Amino acid sequence: MQDYQVIPITAADVVPTAEQMRAAGRMLIMIHGYVNKDGQKVVSYEYATDKGIASYSVTGADALPTISTIYSTAAEWPERELNELIGVEFTGLDTSVRLFLPDNLLEGNGQIMVTPLEELRAKNVEAKEK
Amino acid sequence: MTYTIPIGPYHPALEEPVHAKLYTDGEIISDAEVFVGYNHRGIEKLAMERNFIQTIVLVERVCGICSHSHALDYAMCVERIAQMDVPRRGQYIRVIIAELERLHSHYLWLGIACHLLGHDSLFMRIWDEREVIMDMLEKLSGNRVNYGMVIPGGSRRDVNDSQRQELLELLEHIVPPVDRIKDILLNDKTVAMRTQGVGVLTTEDALRLGAIGPHARASNVKIDVRRDMPYCCYDEFDFDVPVWESGDVFARVVIRVLECYESVKIIRQALENLPEGPINLGNKIPRVPAGEVVSLHEAPRGQLVYKLVTDGGPNNHRLSIHVPTFRNAPTIPTMLRNNTVADAGLIIASIDPCFSCLDR
Repeated sequence: MQDYQVIPITAADVVPTAEQMRAAGRMLIMIHGYVNKDGQKVVSYEYATDKGIASYSVTGADALPTISTIYSTAAEWPERELNELIGVEFTGLDTSVRLFLPDNLLEGNGQIMVTPLEELRAKNVEAKEK
Repeated sequence: MTYTIPIGPYHPALEEPVHAKLYTDGEIISDAEVFVGYNHRGIEKLAMERNFIQTIVLVERVCGICSHSHALDYAMCVERIAQMDVPRRGQYIRVIIAELERLHSHYLWLGIACHLLGHDSLFMRIWDEREVIMDMLEKLSGNRVNYGMVIPGGSRRDVNDSQRQELLELLEHIVPPVDRIKDILLNDKTVAMRTQGVGVLTTEDALRLGAIGPHARASNVKIDVRRDMPYCCYDEFDFDVPVWESGDVFARVVIRVLECYESVKIIRQALENLPEGPINLGNKIPRVPAGEVVSLHEAPRGQLVYKLVTDGGPNNHRLSIHVPTFRNAPTIPTMLRNNTVADAGLIIASIDPCFSCLDR
């Protein structure tokens, strides 16, 4: 069974934690994000430990420093994806081009996770008709 | 002369749509960019409106090749949050299907690699052998793809004694063809000329860019979730994690052949030691409390990551899927640099990309 541990951190801890993990040779498994029931953005950085995963979680931050300078593309693509999905800004990361979502679906970022599916379907049809 | 050459999104050398821009100096690629998103289906968004049984069906359709991997990883997330103790027989059956899936996925890619490097007779030979694996999967699950063998709490279908004996006999017939395929791939001049020293990813670059799976192991990075963070009783099986030093397309070919032997070894052990007992905890929709968990599975292309967040309700609050190609695709520009345009298709294909998985 893989161990899983959640460790709450602040936005200021993101880079020092990444540097510490990189120095220890720990793999960045994923960067995950969602909007909780209180409407706060939650971003977690999942690192491999000896027998499992440590999840360093930041709650309520709209902007975070990028760790792509430390973990290269292993962090860059997940950060760009999260910027599209939940609208978190990653300081120092170029998000001018969308990674996954079509350019003509929804203006701006961060709406897709909070927009009801029916509304999204209608917008998708509208975008295709244009 | 410098040129910008587009490849894709639709191109004969690509099995799925992806777009790459090659910046070349004459025939030599000086830099490249990769653009994805052509298969985006909003699976993660759809999962937010599905319950824990419906989601199994949904995630199996993320990918047609590694559908069992997706269902297995999702089920492990649900089981962890709901504290379900999966019966050992159910775990063993999951392992058997997972390794058969690895075999047919590796055969599929080896065939495509041979086709791309101009060895079509070997391509047909490998795909012919792949049919044996597909038949085995069909015997066990009733399907050639999307096996539907996983439910939260175990496996959906059992493996009876006659199936077990039949599979053990079929396994005996898998190894000799792999020996012959390995012999050709390792010694054929055409294969060597098209793959050796082509699309090199050094160990240092593999670690820096976060490459995973067979792609990383071909660059001498010894990582494998089955060994490093065992799950599904993988710690009860004896198998090796092969690595290769050269980091080129040839290494990626060799690694996948060597991994076929390890998968056969695991399947044989699982069939010979299949525990008695139930295969699952029943077919009811599980009650899943609020929680979050990350689950890792070594899919055929590398580490598959699922993160599930639940809020105590009937549906997933958030499901995140990070597939191996998500980690390996960003290594493509590094591999392409200083290679010729003619090799670009083969180099892109050499990570065994699944852009349907990647885009979700």
